[in-house]
Amino acid sequence: MKHVLAGCWITAALAVVAVTACSAERDAGDPPRPATRLTDPADSSELIGQDLLVALAQAKNFHHKAKVFMSDGNLPAATAAVRQILSLAFPHGAPEADDVRNDARALLAKLLISQGQLDEAARTVAEGLAQSQRDSFFVANLYTVQGEIHEARAAALAGNDAGAPGARDERHAAIEAYDRSIQINERLQKKLMEER
Amino acid sequence: MATQDDDTLTGSVPEPDAEPTPAELAHARRFAELIDKTLTGRPPPAISADDRALLEVATVIRATHGQLALAPDRQHAVVEDALRQAIGARPAGGSAATPLARARAARRWAPWLVAGASTLVAAAALLVLWLRPPGSPAGAPIGRAAVPVEWMSRPADALIGPIARDHAGDAGARIDAIFADRLDGFRARRLARRGRP
Repeated sequence: MKHVLAGCWITAALAVVAVTACSAERDAGDPPRPATRLTDPADSSELIGQDLLVALAQAKNFHHKAKVFMSDGNLPAATAAVRQILSLAFPHGAPEADDVRNDARALLAKLLISQGQLDEAARTVAEGLAQSQRDSFFVANLYTVQGEIHEARAAALAGNDAGAPGARDERHAAIEAYDRSIQINERLQKKLMEER
Repeated sequence: MATQDDDTLTGSVPEPDAEPTPAELAHARRFAELIDKTLTGRPPPAISADDRALLEVATVIRATHGQLALAPDRQHAVVEDALRQAIGARPAGGSAATPLARARAARRWAPWLVAGASTLVAAAALLVLWLRPPGSPAGAPIGRAAVPVEWMSRPADALIGPIARDHAGDAGARIDAIFADRLDGFRARRLARRGRP
């Protein structure tokens, strides 16, 4: 009887291992979802849930708080409010998370630019671009803000000499960032038009 | 078929010292013959309900008096079968011990049959998952009803569209639009699910 029980346990363990391995293989094999792909309706985990709405509502509140601080001229407080959006917990794999965070980074970078913190603004944008899983209009917006940062740097470097080498490089970098933003926008618009 | 003796059990009870009536004597003789036939393996094809009840009582009384001993050859066969099973041999066919041996064997093999069937099912599931054509997406909707896209978590590109440079910092307005759209989808899904099992 001991052997029989051992056989049953081994069989059950094999079944569990098999199911776990299959689900792990499936998770690892999922390709990143393209920006304009229609949502697969079969995956119930992608349904809009309360957790997503809660995260979006919190982001909305922080944006509103930042707006009030901005209207009050308190840019550091507004910056802190926007930073809190970056640490919000969204449902795993929710595409809205990337979009909301990238939009928050764009606003955060513009706030930092207005406070003269160009390096911090550039770092904020670079982190957003590095963490983005897909191209989107929000990523294109980040490139737009990146161009503005380069423009601001060019202006700071130029001073009275508009032809200073550093300023010229920054202007070129700004043009490249704007071009990248335009390319992404065009590609996504074309895809959206094809899907409609 | 009703007879005049059908009220034997339900009729009036005679006095203990009363002389038996001819009808009672005839019934007693007929019942004695019925018991003899039943004990010798020749039961009548049909008997009345009262006779059947009396017959069962008579059988029980006879068994309690120890008059149901097996025939010597039958006793010998049962003992031989028990001894054979004790040393691991197969019992002789047709013996009373055969069902016990069969049940014991079934009890011995049943867990292995269950374990083997479970392993086969797990192996089949593995094969189906691993050998699935790459064209079919994981979790493809086979036979499932399509879910409206508005109910799903999805990129906000189609909702927001290209962001003009002048509005690069208007994230507050965009989050308002995203939240309102997803809230609509959530409510639509919740309302649509009502009334369903």
